[in-house]
Amino acid sequence: MYRLIELIVRFKEYVSLCALIVICFSLMSWSHSGQLGGFRAVIVGGIGWMQSAFAWIPNPVSIKSENAALRELNLQLSEERASIRQALIENAALRKMLEFKKKSAYEVISADIVGKTTTEVRNFVTMNKGTADSIQEGMPVITDAGLVGVIIGASSNFSIAQLLINRDSRIAAKILRSRIDGIVAWEGEQDLVMKNIPKSYDVKVGDEVITSEYSNKYPSNIRIGWVSKIIDEPTTLFRRILVRPSANFSTLEQVYIAKIIPDPERLQLEREIEKRLRERRRLR
Amino acid sequence: MAQYREKSLYESFPALRYVLYAITGLLLSVLHVVFVRLISVQGIAPDLLLVLTVWIALSEGQFIALYAGFICGLLFDIVSADVLGTNALAKTVAGFTAGYFFRQADIPKSLGGIRLLLAVGLSSFIHNLAYFFFYVRPTEMSFTGFFLQYGIATTLYTVVVALFPMLIYRSTSMGRA
Repeated sequence: MYRLIELIVRFKEYVSLCALIVICFSLMSWSHSGQLGGFRAVIVGGIGWMQSAFAWIPNPVSIKSENAALRELNLQLSEERASIRQALIENAALRKMLEFKKKSAYEVISADIVGKTTTEVRNFVTMNKGTADSIQEGMPVITDAGLVGVIIGASSNFSIAQLLINRDSRIAAKILRSRIDGIVAWEGEQDLVMKNIPKSYDVKVGDEVITSEYSNKYPSNIRIGWVSKIIDEPTTLFRRILVRPSANFSTLEQVYIAKIIPDPERLQLEREIEKRLRERRRLR
Repeated sequence: MAQYREKSLYESFPALRYVLYAITGLLLSVLHVVFVRLISVQGIAPDLLLVLTVWIALSEGQFIALYAGFICGLLFDIVSADVLGTNALAKTVAGFTAGYFFRQADIPKSLGGIRLLLAVGLSSFIHNLAYFFFYVRPTEMSFTGFFLQYGIATTLYTVVVALFPMLIYRSTSMGRA
């Protein structure tokens, strides 16, 4: 026993390193990835308060990129304006004919971005609306441009959303023109990636990509972005489709939070199946 | 006759150093979350808490640096909404690495010299290796590409930022001498 204690004291650095590594691994497996809960919700409130207090400080780098994006948007809008005017006239006539009943598919809450963490790979935004405004974890965040992300934590007055450009993003998506389904994910680049699409499928650069009705997280038919590049994988029958997100994450200021909660029963079932598959893979 | 010199509060209560490290750690983590966007370049930001961990390693040794790295990492995980334990693990390993640069007899020279930068560079490199390994593990992302894109750049930026405490320490210690 004495020798053991002596050994531990002698190699205390190595023993401590091993113990701390074990603690870190336990923490990693204990905390569910992409979800914030319990005491961390309190931290969200504190950080949100601080970020909102200093949100007035301008960031020269983001102002420059914002200006460039606004100029580009201005050009697009002036082109769109002419076509919209024509479309409005047509739309009015068609609505009358079909007695189209205008209704919003879901309720939305507007929120301001008070803090942004888009450094390295931690892509989150803090918003000034929380549980007091009935914001809950799992609600999708959108803008007029398209899908932005999903709420992962909320305190009474603030909430944190994980952006699409995040490791944990997996979106059931669809190419609007050809109705091809796939999963859109982020792999660290500027664009999102839609993988395992057979080469024979009809996909073109510029095609609009929207959320699919198979998604358990997001409402269907929300724009994700546009196909920016199609890469044929040389040794397979598949191709990688790069999707440029329609939302500009560097200039986000106001967003809408859709008051939609994924069906908990469906989520539970999908998590269980995923767990079982993972265990089966581990056993192999 | 030996000249009488009044002891500072810092010298009288050595444990005060740890209080100072804790306060600095808290301040740096808040600073990182609230203000680091102002100094981030193309999404790359310096790791201020890693610089503190290395500083502690060069001042206190490997054993203390291990725990300092763990606590700093845990603090960072909490404030940055990251998966709990990832930064803690990376910074524990970084603190352990930085501990090899500790020289008991040469602490002022280490903190005010090139050794601090070398320790920050190597620790940051190992920190980012560990962090990005666990970051990309559950995904199909390429570790090499991801590490080359973010890991190397973050390492370099952190070394540049470590120049400031090094120069400040050097100028103040030279002033005292």
